[in-house]
Amino acid sequence: MNELRRDPITGRWNIVVLDKIADLSDFKSEPHPKDPQGCRFCYGNENDMPEIIAHRKYGPPNSPGWTVRVLPNKYPALRIEGELIKEGLGVFDMMTGVGAHEVIIDTPDHFRDMADLSYAEMEEVVWAYLARSIDLRRDKRFKYILIFKNYGESAGASLEHPHSQLIALPIVPKIVQEEIDGASKYFDYKERCVFCDMLRQEQMEKERIIYDGRYFTAFCPYVSRFSYEIWILPKKHQSDFALLQRDCVSCLAKALRDCLARMKGLLGDPSYNFIIHSSPINGHDREDYHWHIEIMPKLTKIAGFEWGSGFYINPVPPEIAAKNLLSVKLVEK
Amino acid sequence: MPELRRDPVVGRWVIISTERGGRPNQFKAPAAEEEGLPGGEKCPFCEGNESMTPPEIYALRKPGSVRNGPGWEVRVIPSISPLLQIEGNLDRHGHGMYDLMNARGAHEIVIDTPKHLKEYELSRDQFTKSMNVAIDRIVDLEKDPGIKYVLIFRNYGQAAGGGHIKHARMQLIGTPVNLKRVKEELVGAKRYYEYKDRCIYCDIIKQELSSAKRVMAESKHFIAIAPFAARFPFETWILPKEHSCDFYRIDRAKVPDLADLTQLVYLKIKKAIGDFPYNFVLHTAPFRRDLHKKGYWDTIGRDYHWHFELLPILTRVAGFEWGSAFYINPLAPEDACKAVSEVTG
Repeated sequence: MNELRRDPITGRWNIVVLDKIADLSDFKSEPHPKDPQGCRFCYGNENDMPEIIAHRKYGPPNSPGWTVRVLPNKYPALRIEGELIKEGLGVFDMMTGVGAHEVIIDTPDHFRDMADLSYAEMEEVVWAYLARSIDLRRDKRFKYILIFKNYGESAGASLEHPHSQLIALPIVPKIVQEEIDGASKYFDYKERCVFCDMLRQEQMEKERIIYDGRYFTAFCPYVSRFSYEIWILPKKHQSDFALLQRDCVSCLAKALRDCLARMKGLLGDPSYNFIIHSSPINGHDREDYHWHIEIMPKLTKIAGFEWGSGFYINPVPPEIAAKNLLSVKLVEK
Repeated sequence: MPELRRDPVVGRWVIISTERGGRPNQFKAPAAEEEGLPGGEKCPFCEGNESMTPPEIYALRKPGSVRNGPGWEVRVIPSISPLLQIEGNLDRHGHGMYDLMNARGAHEIVIDTPKHLKEYELSRDQFTKSMNVAIDRIVDLEKDPGIKYVLIFRNYGQAAGGGHIKHARMQLIGTPVNLKRVKEELVGAKRYYEYKDRCIYCDIIKQELSSAKRVMAESKHFIAIAPFAARFPFETWILPKEHSCDFYRIDRAKVPDLADLTQLVYLKIKKAIGDFPYNFVLHTAPFRRDLHKKGYWDTIGRDYHWHFELLPILTRVAGFEWGSAFYINPLAPEDACKAVSEVTG
């Protein structure tokens, strides 16, 4: 019989399929065509969009020689200029779409996604995330900074060149607010952070852990919504990604790169998304929330049942996912 | 300038970002999918192939026909690979800090028609019959105290998770827990009611009728609107005009009217963008057997309003949306409404 598992943070119930566990052969990766012809993110096309920041080996701004480059999104979902105006329309509420929408070009190499980067290259990407987070939080109009990556068409990527994105928002996204509310309720009751408790239980059981470094742990969560879902958490309690200490950056880079490389090694270059969940800006370092990265490979179609119910069906128990991911041999880079 | 809009019930924000090129004619349904019955394989849902499915739970039959044989009009069978199973007892327990239970519940398929037709090819009469059967199933499942909620949904087209066999059917899942999405609506509606003493959905219907910018279609008893904070292009909700929290207590005389409006909305959108993949989901109040328990949703009858949500799957939902429940919709619902009314004249 299948199992229903409850997410201790948000209270969401998910179905974990035990009757007919999906096989690796059930997941087919979509092709990832790589044609650098006309790519705006490759060396030599820096004039297309002036950079916000870049890390470079050589050359002046907006020329080749960079290793990571951050640009405004050419087709932004939100606009940086303008006043934040809030208004009501009868029963409805709206506000102007003020915000920042930036692109982080992970590497000048059109052909290597994050899973293929060296630790040093990955570290520079994390530095760029951190620098932009710290800079944008000074804008008082913004309440939240979302950092995420879409890889592959079915994960919503519209460009081939490896890149991540950042969106600064005047509101707190619903799922994050739910996590904060749930975590705060747990804290009221237990006076402990629910994420710290999760880390403790995962460390004790050792059934779902796939990375255990000095500062970070990665595991397939007990209540995974998606097959091969992975979370990366800082071991020491910290609510806000922007407070990440300098000496932890390399460990985070290693954790993220290794998780993606394991996924690629096992599942054959699947499309995926990851997203950093952090506490809202202007918050202090809260005791009850714990920032983390959620990695979600796109292996199954999400159907009406999930949409309409918020009730997910996961055909691979996380214990099996972790075991399979750990069996991948990694190349240290 | 893009707009941020808030869903008044659950408080979810959506970016309506028409500047990214959201013209209605940009949204085209994917090319027609091949019917996936290779090499003369038979459709298990067609009349005459009853032996290909598990034995039926219920069927609307013509006089003289026998169980699990031909002669039915609507047929209900257990899912071939059920996510939840009706046998056994519900066993809730803890695992350290985590909670779990066995997946006891119901998972059934309601086959809309004995003929090999798509949903939108059903006649009014047939659609009405199948909707009535679905309601009968909810009434029956209410007797099982282990089931708290019955979710009815359709997945059409592969992008929406629909099967490769294009025979009209819906799925019915009875769960031992309340569903998160529905609970959010219940909480939001309750909060609004406490504040205003009015049902929020009734207020939305009134406002939409007076502004008329987002009304997709209307019938005597039902209304179809493009919601103000639509997550997807051409998203549509169908609601009863008269306040009611339980779908299964619907006045059966109104079911043909509901069938009509549902078909009309579907055909209108299809005319505008082609044969589109979609999910169609019922949101209704959970069973309330413990009404005597204080504070146990005792206001649902007044503050909640059942409805169907039609979600066309035309855009890719990216990690950003999954991870934040913060959607970017490139087509304003007003424009979707306009496009639909222009096409149909």
